[in-house]
Amino acid sequence: MAEIELKHVSKIYEGGAAAVRDFSLDIHDREFVIFVGPSGCGKSTTLRMIAGLEDITEGELYVDGEYMNDVESCDRDMAMVFQNYALYPHMTVYENIAYSMKLKKVPKEERRKKVLETAKLLGIEELLDRKPKELSGGQKQRVAMGRAIVRRPKAFLMDEPLSNLDAKLRNQMRTEIRNLHKNLDTTFIYVTHDQTEAMTLGTKIVVMKDGVMQQVDTPSQLYDYPVNMFVAGFIGTPQMNFLEADCIINDGEVKLATRLGIIVPDKGKGDMLLRKGYTGKKVVVGIRPEDLYDDETMLSRFPDATVHTKVEVYEMLGDKCCLYCEKNSEKLTASVKSDTKARRGDEIAFAMDLSKMHIFDKDTQMAIVH
Amino acid sequence: MDSQRTLNLKTEVSARPAVHRKKKKASSTAAEWVKKIVLLMASAVTAFPFLWMILSALKTKEEIMDVSAFFPQNPQWQNFTEVIFQSPIVRYIGNSLYVSVITVAIQLVTGAMITYAIVFMHFRGRKALFAIIMGTYMLPTAATYIPSYIILANMNLLNTYTGLIISSAVSIFGIFLLRQAFMQVPTGLIEAARIDGAGHWKTLWKIVMPMTKSSFITFGLMSFITCYNNYMWPSLITDDTRLSLVSQGLRQFFIEGGAYGTNWSLVMAGSAVIVIPLLVLFAFTQKWFINGIGGDTGMKG
Repeated sequence: MAEIELKHVSKIYEGGAAAVRDFSLDIHDREFVIFVGPSGCGKSTTLRMIAGLEDITEGELYVDGEYMNDVESCDRDMAMVFQNYALYPHMTVYENIAYSMKLKKVPKEERRKKVLETAKLLGIEELLDRKPKELSGGQKQRVAMGRAIVRRPKAFLMDEPLSNLDAKLRNQMRTEIRNLHKNLDTTFIYVTHDQTEAMTLGTKIVVMKDGVMQQVDTPSQLYDYPVNMFVAGFIGTPQMNFLEADCIINDGEVKLATRLGIIVPDKGKGDMLLRKGYTGKKVVVGIRPEDLYDDETMLSRFPDATVHTKVEVYEMLGDKCCLYCEKNSEKLTASVKSDTKARRGDEIAFAMDLSKMHIFDKDTQMAIVH
Repeated sequence: MDSQRTLNLKTEVSARPAVHRKKKKASSTAAEWVKKIVLLMASAVTAFPFLWMILSALKTKEEIMDVSAFFPQNPQWQNFTEVIFQSPIVRYIGNSLYVSVITVAIQLVTGAMITYAIVFMHFRGRKALFAIIMGTYMLPTAATYIPSYIILANMNLLNTYTGLIISSAVSIFGIFLLRQAFMQVPTGLIEAARIDGAGHWKTLWKIVMPMTKSSFITFGLMSFITCYNNYMWPSLITDDTRLSLVSQGLRQFFIEGGAYGTNWSLVMAGSAVIVIPLLVLFAFTQKWFINGIGGDTGMKG
């Protein structure tokens, strides 16, 4: 259990390259925080700074109000699960799990009890006498988790723990990690580049890019109210569509002229654009593939928010269809019901759910209105 | 017709690899023989001095200078008993073992600690430190004799084992050898140990050492042999004959009569006796001379 506080933390390497810049975050007790971003965004570095494996160049780190910058990682009481598991090859599974307790001089009997408990929780009881090289990837992963769990640490740090597993195992472990969080009542900090993992596991997600924190929010807030185009594009698959548009006033109404058609935003969004002085300027319209509809009911419901394009690729996914379209060199992806009649080469019209439309500033890429 | 053709084809196809295999086998046996002969010759060259030493130890004083007889006529086994029971050679062996064991133990600890710092700890000047350490390896040992002698003299450690041991408390060769091994240990394991709550000391001895055990053993053995056989430096700083190591002792007691008076068969018997501890050591540890970190490293590749 721990409150972790990062204050203007930066990691600058000797050559002057910054891996993390001015990172400030409060992590509350029992939160499940996810650091997510493309590779090289500084998420792992941030985690390693919390773990004490990297020095903090600037800024301060507090755990439960205690200044931690200069505390050695062995004295921070945090457990970490590594991407490549990092099991001690010369020890059995039992010894691997028990090692941290041995270091803490926990009595042998208690050690034994705790290891067995943990092994049972993870379903690895029959593996306790094996050496790491005799384990499969999934089993190693469980042992690595066991090694962390058994300690009941202040916080769990996980650095892409599932990325070496196959898809099926990854889904299974994801569920187990979520259950663990529920059972253990401890702070989790989890690094991943996989936005699905981020969305399904986190109670708080930190989106990072190029060493800079972009947005910190709950999964649903991130999805519905991304602060900029990067976050909007990073969260959600398929990715959000971005359509360049001229913000114009026509018949006293604010309209957005895209290359696929003119969209009339609802009153609230129009007023916001007007008030912020975007008329006559270029903006970017963001709309998620699942907020585009090709059925008649929706087309008639949103006649002022229709775009016209041409289907280039038709992808049947079973429960839904992905249509990858392009016209006037503007790409558009739509995720529609699987009974759609649209096929490759068809001219097609989509209605946008106007309430789900996002508008971004073209230059700053920041969200203007959601 | 057609079916016959396919059949022919089939036999041809299946026959071809068989021929190929046979040929390969024949050429490989020839290569095996060449290899064996070369190895046999190399072994003979290596083993000959040793064999000669044993044979000479069993000869009489006269026979030894007579090149016409390779084998002794009457093996003089009493040469061995004489050397073992009537000369201080056993004492010298004891001295050598004592000094070597302690020196090696200290070298292993210091070597491991320095290497750990160089490989796993991050501090300013780490690379420079390693360069300096390696630089001293280039220095001829003889060049260090005088300064080392003066230092030991100032510390009043001349003519003591303490002086002898602390003057070889660090082995540069060992640092080099251990560094090669330590660099194979995944950094992730060190980090995992640190996170698990192990300090540097524990990480070194409980994680790094077991994983690089073979290098430790190799280093220990090589260092042991060097210490055991050491001649020049010990004879410079000790002049008390009770403190002599084997090489010194051998010289003092068997060659002191001058080139004409030397009883060569006793010298040979003495030499054979002092090699025994090393041979025993080899017998148990030869597999460790094939060094390398093997097996699973615990990290997914």
